[in-house]
Amino acid sequence: MSGDKGLNPTIVSICRFAGIASVALAIIFLINNFITYVGGAPGVYGTFGSVGLFGFDAPKNEVSGGMLTLGWVQVLMNIAVIAFAAYYTKSMGSLSVDAQRLDRMSSFVIKVAFWAVLIVGVTDAVLSFLRVEDFHTAIFGKEIATKIGQSKWRGAFIHLPLMALAVFIAMRDRSVSVVWLITLVVVAELFIVLARFIFAYEQTFMGDLVRFWYAALFLFASAYTLKEEGHVRVDVIYASFQDRTKAWINATGSVAFGMPLCWLILTLGLSSKSSLINSPMLNFETSMSGFGMYVKYLMAAFLIVFALSMLIQFTSYFFNALAKMNNEILPEAKKEA
Amino acid sequence: MELFFLAVLFLIMMYALGSGFPVAFALPGAAIITITLAGLSGYFFTGDSGAYFTQDGPIEWLTAGVTNFRGIYWEVERDTLIAIPLFIFMGIMLQRSRIAEDLLVTMAQLFGPIPGGLGISVVFVGALLAATTGIVGATVVAMGLISLPAMLRNNYSKPLATGTICASGTLGQIIPPSIVLIILADQLASAADQAASERKSLYKEATGEFSMPSTLDIVSTSAGDMFLGAFIPGIVLVGLYMAYILISALLKPSTAPAVPYDGKLLERAFIVKVVLSLVPPLVLIFVVLGSIIAGIATVNQAGAIGAIGATIMAGYRLREGQKDAYYPAILAIASIVFIAVLLSSFSLNIRKIETSMDVFGIMLAVVGVIGFVTAVIWSGWRTLKIEDTLNGVMVESAKTTSMVFIILLGAAMLTAAFRAFGGEEIVKHFLTGLPGGFWSQFIVVMLVIFLLGFFLDFIEIAVVVVPIVSPILLSDPTANVTAVWLGVMIGLNIQTSFLTPPFGFALFYLRGVASSVVKTIDIYKGVVPFILLQLLGLTIVGFYPSLVNYLPVRTYLTSETAPPPKNPRLQACLEDYLFNYYVEEEGRFETAANTLLSLDLNKLPSELRRNVKDSGETVLNLPMMISDIRNAEDALDEASIDYRPIHSEVRMLERDIRRNNRQFESLKKEIRGMEDGDVKANISAQMDELQDEIETLKSQIPSDWKSVNKDYKVYQNELKKAQRTYRKSVDDAYNNLVDTIVILESADELEALLPQIRALGDAVPTEDGPFDAARDAIGDAATLVATIPGTNAIASSLSKAKKALRKRKEKPKKALKSIDKAIGLLEEDVRARKASAGALLPELKSFEASIRDTVGLRQQSRLTDEQAAAISGCLARHRDISLNF
Repeated sequence: MSGDKGLNPTIVSICRFAGIASVALAIIFLINNFITYVGGAPGVYGTFGSVGLFGFDAPKNEVSGGMLTLGWVQVLMNIAVIAFAAYYTKSMGSLSVDAQRLDRMSSFVIKVAFWAVLIVGVTDAVLSFLRVEDFHTAIFGKEIATKIGQSKWRGAFIHLPLMALAVFIAMRDRSVSVVWLITLVVVAELFIVLARFIFAYEQTFMGDLVRFWYAALFLFASAYTLKEEGHVRVDVIYASFQDRTKAWINATGSVAFGMPLCWLILTLGLSSKSSLINSPMLNFETSMSGFGMYVKYLMAAFLIVFALSMLIQFTSYFFNALAKMNNEILPEAKKEA
Repeated sequence: MELFFLAVLFLIMMYALGSGFPVAFALPGAAIITITLAGLSGYFFTGDSGAYFTQDGPIEWLTAGVTNFRGIYWEVERDTLIAIPLFIFMGIMLQRSRIAEDLLVTMAQLFGPIPGGLGISVVFVGALLAATTGIVGATVVAMGLISLPAMLRNNYSKPLATGTICASGTLGQIIPPSIVLIILADQLASAADQAASERKSLYKEATGEFSMPSTLDIVSTSAGDMFLGAFIPGIVLVGLYMAYILISALLKPSTAPAVPYDGKLLERAFIVKVVLSLVPPLVLIFVVLGSIIAGIATVNQAGAIGAIGATIMAGYRLREGQKDAYYPAILAIASIVFIAVLLSSFSLNIRKIETSMDVFGIMLAVVGVIGFVTAVIWSGWRTLKIEDTLNGVMVESAKTTSMVFIILLGAAMLTAAFRAFGGEEIVKHFLTGLPGGFWSQFIVVMLVIFLLGFFLDFIEIAVVVVPIVSPILLSDPTANVTAVWLGVMIGLNIQTSFLTPPFGFALFYLRGVASSVVKTIDIYKGVVPFILLQLLGLTIVGFYPSLVNYLPVRTYLTSETAPPPKNPRLQACLEDYLFNYYVEEEGRFETAANTLLSLDLNKLPSELRRNVKDSGETVLNLPMMISDIRNAEDALDEASIDYRPIHSEVRMLERDIRRNNRQFESLKKEIRGMEDGDVKANISAQMDELQDEIETLKSQIPSDWKSVNKDYKVYQNELKKAQRTYRKSVDDAYNNLVDTIVILESADELEALLPQIRALGDAVPTEDGPFDAARDAIGDAATLVATIPGTNAIASSLSKAKKALRKRKEKPKKALKSIDKAIGLLEEDVRARKASAGALLPELKSFEASIRDTVGLRQQSRLTDEQAAAISGCLARHRDISLNF
């Protein structure tokens, strides 16, 4: 391999810039989506539209001065991250180091999501149990008991603080990872078995909890699976390729097949108020059977977690493949040498 | 242009898959690229981004794809997929804790001394434990690593050894609890829905009637059904494999020599070892499958039981040799036994706590549950701490689960793209255009799947090909196959494909792990007999669909949610069974009916007398009604012989006409608003051609078709009439009898009302007086009387009395007269009921009991187990229903 030529440095720089910009823009896109649909800001296109730039349509409702300022902040954030990506690319770093950074980033996203579904799942299941058995009035008093029955209140005052807690735990904890979800699924289903076959007790929230964790399991574990080469390949020919060819396939595949999928989920899911992911999230959608768990809207958000973590992971995968094609030596290997 | 983009989609997909990029992303990636390309070129060349789609535009189709992602976990309907991670967890736990390996080694030692014993135990273990990993590769590799060296060491011939390993490594895929079956079930269930609506529209087109009778519906499937359906075929294959190994060992002992066990076979330590390594996995599989087969647990719950069972087993296996190794397992078993005892002696329903005994029982049960949970946590703790087993299992399971589900996700996008460019229609046209009807379609589909099996793994085929082709195959009324059967056939087919040189998956994987002593040609030679066995198995299952359908049907009929005997879908088989039974037991029915008719019925009120007589006479009439139905059936069968060819020919022509018509209409739409020019002229010419074709097709329909069809319908209607007569007669006979019994039984109740009714007369004021109280009293009495059966006359007299007292039109005299009439009727009724109840009631009851499960069967809430068993065989056969369409 050592005889191979590396890649053209300009191409490497462009790839590096594009990869980092894509990840950074995705994060800003998510933040902006929140500011737009929860905070009421006009969004990037809406801001352009309000002042008649680039031919975008003006928003239907008049945008107030404060909100317009917020809209400009949204625009600036996008410009800022692109500038950051450009600045970052200028400092000649190692692609493998970048890839490792991205790995850590993706696993942090997943870790937060894991703790969030764990804590929210348990808490909401307990609340749903109390509610379906009508114990909640006695415990919390009438006023809060009514509020527990409202998905908006539960979302804002129970789930949201718990998710903040999840971020906190995820920053501290180093031992537990997303694979524990499989054990949680087993335990939750065992709970159904014991309750049903021994005490003849069956409620919707029990099935909801299993579904909540199982959906999280396969969506959240996907990035890790990619990193560990767990996604199955048709390797009839692939197995006989040289490392460089393999890297070429992985690099182009990440860009052509993987990243578009992630971006597609994000853009289609979050493009307007009534979009696939936004709509259930903004309405705090619950399942039809009133006494189940109130987490269906979070299950829509799982797709965001999936898309974001996969986008980051694919970028890392892309960088690793580039590094291999560029004959970059892994940092660990360098140290040893 | 749609065709062009379909080709682009196909090419990109082929490239993406062939290059070796992970399947889960190659599939949706190809779809997204193609849809985007089509949208962009539509926008640039025609100004309409949706121009190159069959309908809608790129955004709609992409959104549909992403919506499909969510659909995988969003709704309760697809919950059986949850079983997949559970079974994966179970399988990997058994592998990682080396229980699977122990099983193989011990089996080999146990069966080693008989000829071919080692090979047979490899098949057995492969069938039992290879099921759960989901990817053929992993299974074959694991089997190859463990078994191949052992077989070669013991001088097995290389072809036989490698063939056995490849075959049993793939076998696990179709033996429950295999996750491939769960995915197939998931895909086939939605395919069956689609096929059902297709069949309905076919029915509407063919007959002009709007609602299709449910007897003509498609039999759908579920993961549980799929497990049950694959069970017997799986056993057939295992049997074939074992028989082959045994026979070749007997004919040529050198290929599969017996392996003498060096220790003493009957040594105590060995027996203990055999029991400990054989019994627990067998019990676990038995519990998991048994609870599904018996309809006790859902597939998911069975999966959880399996996962927990495997953890407990790992708990002692990992501490093998230590004194306390078995403590948690013993605790778990003790808790389960304790809970089982409690369940049989207490009511543990936590929602129906009534007595203090219930509370006591539940408290004991809680103790039992705590014991069990302690055992589970204890075992889990060991797997966590010893050799990091739990972590390994979790990592491996999470990766496998994600791998499987992200492929499902990706395929959802690909299916959207395939539909967007009209791919489904094209496949449908191609398949339905094949000569030879269902079986040629079926064989073509199977061949395609067989070829795809060279390149794609089980899951990919299940999620990509099955949704496209199976609605077409399922909706065909000629073969009228069940979804379960189709699934099992596809499973067997792919499995064969994996074995077939030079591309078979299993061969590659084994080649990868086999030592260089084994030549590739050995592997090829080795699998040939197994391929033949597979084909034999496929043929057997193809010709005897009952092998697949019997268990699901029978379980359904005996389950808690069994359909009532009145369910229209059961009637054909149920009547078949009952008629034979009547004929066999004709004497008994005749005697019973005659006994009934010879009773002294004079004391009965006339209406009831008629009821009883009717019942008896209907039973006597049974042979006649049966022979009517059978004659009508024979006549219909005979008429069908001549009618069938004409029918299928005409329906085929009609189908082609409809297809041409559709094409004609779509061309007409395309040409609308088009400027004159070559393109338009071209399309016009096409349209003229179509028109001509339609005319030729129409002229091919025989001129006497209408009258032939009408004549045939007469036979069909005759049969329907005879069946209706029979059903109505038996329903009436039994219902009237039961009514009579109930009426007679309520004599005392009726008598108890007498004082209240008698008092009514005194309550009515003679002249003007407030009538409200009297009116209410009469109303209440009428309601009370109406609760007792057979009191219509009395109740109506009472309501007449009430009516006579209505406000501002009170006629007390008339009311009194009606009340008197009611009293008279009531007294007479009570007398009549009491008089006949004594002697007659036991007779009527015994007659009712003697016909309850036959003549009265349609009124029962469920079939007896014996009946369910008897008609399952009939229901399991595929019936040709094409003449109804």
